[in-house]
Amino acid sequence: MAGLREIQSRIKSIQDTRKITNAMYMISSTKMKRAKQALEATEPYFYTLQSTIARILRHLPEMEHRYFEKPGVKRTRIGLLVITGDKGLAGAYNHNILNLAQKFLDNRENQVKLFVVGELGRQFFAARHIPIEENFRYTVQSPNFNRARWISEKLLDQYRDGELDEIHVIYTRMENSMQSVPEDEMLLPIRRPSLASNIPMDVYQEEFFLIPSAEEAVDTIIPNYITGFIYGALVQAFYTVHNARMVAMEAATNNADELLRELKIMYNRARQAAITQEITEIASGARAQRAKMDANNK
Amino acid sequence: MSTFHLRIITSRRIFYDGPCHILIIPALDGEKAVMAHHEEMIIAIKPGEMRLKYQEDEDWQYAAVGQGFCQIANNRAMLLADLIERPEEVDANRAREALERAQERLRQKQSIQEFHMTQAAMARALVRLKETERYIQ
Repeated sequence: MAGLREIQSRIKSIQDTRKITNAMYMISSTKMKRAKQALEATEPYFYTLQSTIARILRHLPEMEHRYFEKPGVKRTRIGLLVITGDKGLAGAYNHNILNLAQKFLDNRENQVKLFVVGELGRQFFAARHIPIEENFRYTVQSPNFNRARWISEKLLDQYRDGELDEIHVIYTRMENSMQSVPEDEMLLPIRRPSLASNIPMDVYQEEFFLIPSAEEAVDTIIPNYITGFIYGALVQAFYTVHNARMVAMEAATNNADELLRELKIMYNRARQAAITQEITEIASGARAQRAKMDANNK
Repeated sequence: MSTFHLRIITSRRIFYDGPCHILIIPALDGEKAVMAHHEEMIIAIKPGEMRLKYQEDEDWQYAAVGQGFCQIANNRAMLLADLIERPEEVDANRAREALERAQERLRQKQSIQEFHMTQAAMARALVRLKETERYIQ
C-alpha cells in the first residue's frame, strides 16, 4: 500500500485538476447558452435558405451557368473549407472534423486546397506539412455575418477565376442538442435535380420568372446562399464546440470525483492501518515490559 | 383589399410572418412592388430601402435591407436577406463608422475582390444611414 504522504499529494493534485475542469465546464456552459441564442436566431434562415434554393433549382428553366454543375466535366481542383475549434479539450470534436478532412486528402489524387478556420486545424496541418492557404486567418470565436461574407468572397473569387472546380465545407452540424455530426457539404458547383425524373406530365409546374434576368438573378442569389450557408456553419460549429467541451469537462470532473472517492478510501485505510500498527506496537511493547517486570519481581 | 402572405427571414431572426398588402423591394434594376396574387417570380435584391404596408389603410413601414432575394408563389412571398433593420434599430454611429471605413479602404489600392466587398459594405452603410435619418425626422 502506498504511503500516506503519496496518497495525500495525489489527492491534492487531482483536486487542483478538478478545479480547472470544473471552471472550464462553467465557462463553456455560459458560452454555450449565448451560442444557442445565436443558433436559434439563425436556424430559420439557414434551413429556409436551403429549402428555398432547392425549390428554386427545381423550377429554374434549363440554363447553363458557371455556378451549376456541368455534366460530364471532370473536376480535379477542390477547395476545402474546414471549420475547427481554436483550442482542444473538447472531446472528439476536432478529431472528427480533421479525420473527415484527412479522408479528403487521402482518398483523391486531386489537388486539394485547404482553407482552415480555427487555430487547432491550422496547427494540425502545419504539423503534417500539408500546405494551407496562407492569408486566410479567420477565427471561429463569435461568428458574425461579416466574417462569413469575407470567407465566401475569398472562395467564390477563386472559383470564378477558375482556380477551383469544387468547393466543399466541412463543419459540425447539430443533430439535436446532444448529438452533433461532422458533415461534408459540396457548396459549388450546385447540383441540379434531374428534371425529367418522376413528375407526371400533367402536374402543373409553376415556372418562376427571374428578375432582372435568370443569369443575373442566379449570379446574386447563389453567392448570397453560399454566404448564408457559411454563416450557418460557423454558428453551428461555435455552438457544437462549446457543447462538446462542456460534455468533455463534465465527464472529466465526474472522473475526478470518482478518483477522489477511491483515493479517500485508500487514504483512510492506510491511516487506519498505520494507527492499528502503532497500537499493536505499543501494546506489545507494554506487554513485553510487564513480562519483564513480572520476571524481575519473582 | 386582399392581402398576400409574407415571410421575411434574416440571418438573425424572423422579421415578419403574416399578411401584407404591398411590398416594395429594391431589385437589381430598380424597385419592384408585390401585391396580392402576384405572378410567380424570383427577384434578386440589392442593398437598399424596402417599404411595405401590412394593411391597405396603414402607413408605410420602412426598413434597410441587405443582399437577398424574394420568392413569390401561390400568393405567398418569402423574402430572405442577410440584413433587415427597421429605422429605429439602426445604430447610426456604427453605420457611420462602417461608411468611413469603407471610404478609407476605397482610397487605398486593393484587389478587385476587396473592391467588391468594400463597395457592398459601403452600399449597406449608406442605406442604413438613410434609414436613421428617416427615424430622426
